[in-house]
Amino acid sequence: MPIAKTLRYQFMKDLGAPALMRFAQTGKKRPRKKPNPHFGPPLKSAERLKEIMTRHYYLSRFAEGAKPIAWVTSGAPVELLRPFGFYTIYPENHGALCGAQKMAPELCAEAEEHGFHQDLCSYARTDLGHYFSRKTPAGKLPKPDLLFASNNICQTVVYWFKALARYLNIPLVLFDTPYNFEEITEIDISYMIRQFEEMIPVLEQASGQTFNYPKFQEIIRLARDSSLAWGEVLSTMKARPAPMTIFDAFIHLAPIVSLRGLPLTLDYYHLLLDELKERVAHGVGALKNEQKRLMWDNIAIWYKVRDYSNLFAEHDMNFVVATYTNAWAETTPYMDENRPLESMVKAYSLVILNNNLNHRLRLMERLIKEYHVDGLVIHSARSCKPYSVGQYDLKRLLMERLEVPSVVIEADITDSRAYSEEQTNTRLEAFFESME
Amino acid sequence: MIKPEPPPRKEYLQQQKETHGRHLFGVFPAQYPREILWALNVLPVEIWDPPLEVSHANAHLQPYICSVVKQGLELILQGKCDDLDGFLFPHTCDSIQNLASIVNDYLGLDKPCYFFYHPKAPYRASSRQYYIEQLKLFVSRLEKQLGPMEPAQLQHRVSQGQKMAALIRELYNLRANRGLRASNAHFYQAIRYTEYLHPDDLIPLLEGFLADSKGESGGGRAVILSGVLPNPPELLTLLDDQGVRVADDDLLSCSRRFLMPPSQAEDPFEALTEGYFGMPPCTTKDSPVSERLDYLLQKIDRTGAKGIIFYVVKFCEPELFDIPQVVEELKKRGVVTLIIDTELHQGLSGQLKTRVEAFVEMIR
Repeated sequence: MPIAKTLRYQFMKDLGAPALMRFAQTGKKRPRKKPNPHFGPPLKSAERLKEIMTRHYYLSRFAEGAKPIAWVTSGAPVELLRPFGFYTIYPENHGALCGAQKMAPELCAEAEEHGFHQDLCSYARTDLGHYFSRKTPAGKLPKPDLLFASNNICQTVVYWFKALARYLNIPLVLFDTPYNFEEITEIDISYMIRQFEEMIPVLEQASGQTFNYPKFQEIIRLARDSSLAWGEVLSTMKARPAPMTIFDAFIHLAPIVSLRGLPLTLDYYHLLLDELKERVAHGVGALKNEQKRLMWDNIAIWYKVRDYSNLFAEHDMNFVVATYTNAWAETTPYMDENRPLESMVKAYSLVILNNNLNHRLRLMERLIKEYHVDGLVIHSARSCKPYSVGQYDLKRLLMERLEVPSVVIEADITDSRAYSEEQTNTRLEAFFESME
Repeated sequence: MIKPEPPPRKEYLQQQKETHGRHLFGVFPAQYPREILWALNVLPVEIWDPPLEVSHANAHLQPYICSVVKQGLELILQGKCDDLDGFLFPHTCDSIQNLASIVNDYLGLDKPCYFFYHPKAPYRASSRQYYIEQLKLFVSRLEKQLGPMEPAQLQHRVSQGQKMAALIRELYNLRANRGLRASNAHFYQAIRYTEYLHPDDLIPLLEGFLADSKGESGGGRAVILSGVLPNPPELLTLLDDQGVRVADDDLLSCSRRFLMPPSQAEDPFEALTEGYFGMPPCTTKDSPVSERLDYLLQKIDRTGAKGIIFYVVKFCEPELFDIPQVVEELKKRGVVTLIIDTELHQGLSGQLKTRVEAFVEMIR
């Protein structure tokens, strides 16, 4: 990597970015929003989260030319990239950001103009729209040197990254995880370990660095501890009242998804956990009057997070658990620095979306009991077939087994054009009535 | 008219069961080692596009799920698979993956369900090793239900699979070089018998069809079909009526599964592995876009086709993701393209017919 760019990156990382961000903060005059009377005090840690994520995206523009850059899918075993010094960008996280900022429909339309059908995943269309237009709420994303994907969350990410690989003329490294139809076999495990072994020379070549095993072990330890801390963060919502809502968790999820294996992620979750424990100890809830406790299934509807947060709070209903946020706490604790490759195989191939629907049913039953859930909101997401196909049966089975009322919202993760306000309101009104 | 004469599907399956004691397995798309099933006296009956009105499946599947998956589930829910002895779900896409789990985990059917995972591209040494291990594991799982497999039977069925592939290769070669007189509709009717005929019947049928239809085809323009399967079949008839010859295809249910080079391996598992990795590039195997593009360009060169029709089942993500880059490149090279995005059994609307006719005008 050129020395000048490396020095510039290092300067920005240590001094420039923090200084600029402090300056930007002092110059900002935010209009005071009238607080929603249904909510308890906001989380103080949110400010630190914002700093971390803003700095990550800001610094990424200086990483180009200074560090090898990889675009990574949310379920890919990023720990393998970290010892090589890759700066990692998560297009799904970026898609969520675009969705929350209500920029996704514009970017999806850009992709559609280039022939990508409106029926395709909107994370993919958002990202491809960014590729064609360079528009992003993050200012600028660095051009990747490598794409790193795993099909443990869906096949879609591979189709999408294949398209990017050709546009950008860069290699795509795939971690292929056989679907766990009944149970994972020794053959599956050996196949996945062999893939890791095959990837190492490819990553050495792409990064120009040799593989540092002790560093890799340390990263595995950090990733596991961060996942454990994230799991503890989520567990605080078992308390009544829960100290945060799942809408907070959707936002606080960002570091465990996209900065996993880095020390600041672990530090951040310790900070957040301390705050949540304190709130639990003092009986401070996310809602002032938590009457009903809900579970969310599937990825968030990013352009509706704030609206839903307010709507459900006004009904004194708090989402205390989600299969989605739980995904980064469920299997990553399997990671073991003493058996890094084998333990990574289990951590990554047994994730909820690579697992059969019986597993999902058992998981949801357990979470409903542990978190004392009164009702379930199921987001049937057009963009995410592995998450959505099977939900109608899950709804029926959970009602039969646990008598949990539920509602299905037909929507999309970032493309608000696939969302019908009227139809959703009708369904939600019926759901609210059933919960009374 | 050269028309292959098939036995009616329902009667044929019943006869297979009664006369030959064969087990019938419903097999969902797309790639699977059929020779292993044949060797265990199982007849794979593929479920691509049963002609049914979807009603029950809507209680299980969202409106944005493709009609291959919906109609397959509908077939099961309407009790039309009750005579089958099991199901096989190859790992083709996210929707079939989850359909497999719905059927296995939630429907409470009293039938064994098998799943076959094939490694995804880009291929490495581990992919090949995994595939061969998967084949052997698949055999051992089936043996628990069906009893031991005779090695000689597998050898024999692998040879039959190679014979079938050789016949199909010859049919495609003749078709590409104007050496086959069969209409588009009859050609695909013959190819689609691979979906349920036993090789003992399929091979003679293909041989007969080949012998009967050899001969110079008409002088119409050539096109290539790409996509999932030749349904709605009205497109083929319309092209026949327009004097357009489908000179080759890149259809998942047709050439993508059969046009591989012959294997020299003596070991049947090795031969099946060579067959899998020798298959043409395919979206459902994550083949790189550039490989598919090169493959399509070779087909264009070979056949002199002036256009490609992308005949896509609505909501089919693997196909839809590749199309923009493939079409962009084809257009640069002067190849005319038409994208048809439709449900199964929807026929050709007036609008679609007009689009096809306009496409045909452009390649004249």
